[in-house]
Amino acid sequence: MKSYTQIPPGTQILIGRAARRRRVLERAICSVFEGWSYEEIIPPIFDYYDVFTKGWGHEEQIYRFIDRDGNILALRPEFTSLVAKTVATRLASSPKPIRLFYSGEVLRFEKPKGGRQREFAQIGIEHYGGAAKSADVEILLVAVETFQRLGIQSFQINLGSVDFFGGIVDRMELPKEQIDALKEALNIKDQPRLEALLQDLPLEDRRKKILRAVPHLTGGRSVIAEARSLVKNSRSVEALDHLEEIYSIFERLDLAQHLTIDLGEIRGFDYYTGILFRAYVRGLGFEVAGGGRYDGLPAAFGEDVPAVGFSFSLDRLEQIATPMLDSSAANAPATDVDSDFAKALELRQSGKAVKLCL
Amino acid sequence: MLVIALCKGRFLAPSLELLIRAGIRFSEDVASSRRLIFDSDDKRHRVVLVKPADVPTYVEYGAADIGIAGRDVLLETGADVLQPLDLKFGYCRIAVAGPKGTHANNGGDHPTIRVATKYPRITMDYYNARSIPVEIIPLSGSIELAPLIGLADRIVDIVETGQTLKENGLEILAVIAETTARLLINRAGYQTKREEVRALIQALEKVVA
Repeated sequence: MKSYTQIPPGTQILIGRAARRRRVLERAICSVFEGWSYEEIIPPIFDYYDVFTKGWGHEEQIYRFIDRDGNILALRPEFTSLVAKTVATRLASSPKPIRLFYSGEVLRFEKPKGGRQREFAQIGIEHYGGAAKSADVEILLVAVETFQRLGIQSFQINLGSVDFFGGIVDRMELPKEQIDALKEALNIKDQPRLEALLQDLPLEDRRKKILRAVPHLTGGRSVIAEARSLVKNSRSVEALDHLEEIYSIFERLDLAQHLTIDLGEIRGFDYYTGILFRAYVRGLGFEVAGGGRYDGLPAAFGEDVPAVGFSFSLDRLEQIATPMLDSSAANAPATDVDSDFAKALELRQSGKAVKLCL
Repeated sequence: MLVIALCKGRFLAPSLELLIRAGIRFSEDVASSRRLIFDSDDKRHRVVLVKPADVPTYVEYGAADIGIAGRDVLLETGADVLQPLDLKFGYCRIAVAGPKGTHANNGGDHPTIRVATKYPRITMDYYNARSIPVEIIPLSGSIELAPLIGLADRIVDIVETGQTLKENGLEILAVIAETTARLLINRAGYQTKREEVRALIQALEKVVA
């Protein structure tokens, strides 16, 4: 039994400057989201366990408990399942598209890593019921503006699509274990392993050539052209069309240097249904944001609407964003409580922080 | 500047040789110095020397952009890093070994096989996949000793030539995986330092081909 004076592993306490930095960043990001007409949603910190297993998966990371009626409940490990459930139920008859943002703590039973504890802060947006064409671009631009608002210049968004790889393997009719093994090798760009797997697969050389190329299909516009020369199936081709459109818009806005097309990016494959992306900042070894399209999620809660979104990790942003923190408090030496108290009130009303020295 | 984490020990000389052949020059003698940080002559690369088992951690956290470590270490730590290249040195097998004539998947008189190893995670994965109950006895060296004096029934270890096993009356009972030196890349660095990282991967690719 650990002493109650210790803090449990994976928790942290923000004090003073650290807490102020968190709030300043949070407010700055919220103001970007509000600027794009996203409305805040404050979901509960716990809900039925099934909400998260249906939506998010990763049962082993969920903190769960049983209430007095015997229901299995869970502390939220993420927001998207909660928001999707709300959109599919309470907001089912609301006009679409629905734009929502959230900010708060989530809890996961996992090894603390990259400045993220077991309880960590997520802030993000979700866009429901819009056409993929425009909604995907919109949320990517919101992410870009968030970095810019925080004064972070060296950010890189790594954009892929589930449909490019999906279209390739759809036609190969391989058993699930073999597809999983391929994904595992591609996920870490493990060429030797990929080569060994391809040796044993009963595929035409043309198809093997495509799979061999996937880990290298990462870069700028030229990657899309290269990919086009490899695939003909409509699912992959439509994915490339969509990515090219997004890339063109980034070029027109002079933002293309922040966008990398990465057709080998297939992590989170089971959850996403279209684009998926992760954002990195130079000098930080872990991603600071991630997102994508998850059209199947609201349907799991009874309302089939398209959905796309992303979230930032505040804990990681705090390691690189350096907001201006104003900490000047006027000292009000109080010798005469009556008059000095009135003076201090006046200072506070004019927006100053006051420290009374009695 | 790219930071490259290398293992101290038997991997150091072949790792340095690869880097030199890939065009990175060091005027200092990295292998025999006691320092742990070295910059290349053109200051574009920095080599840090760490314990072999720690290389994946340095790379996963981005303290190093790139690392060179054995596949055995990668499997054991489970670090989430990119692994694009086989550097083709340091070949070993990760194997279950035991006294001659025994079997990898049963522990003789013991209902639960006792396995001594430096690789608890690889060992657990191997036996879990076969639904065989196992008691793992973590050791950090002289693993071959464990079955000889009754500490364990079997061992899981890396085997280079098999000579040490043979001299201790043991033999390979099952090969779990093969391991060679691998190039590790931090996921974020792969995106944010794209040109530098890819130039180095390509240079190394040519050297090992």
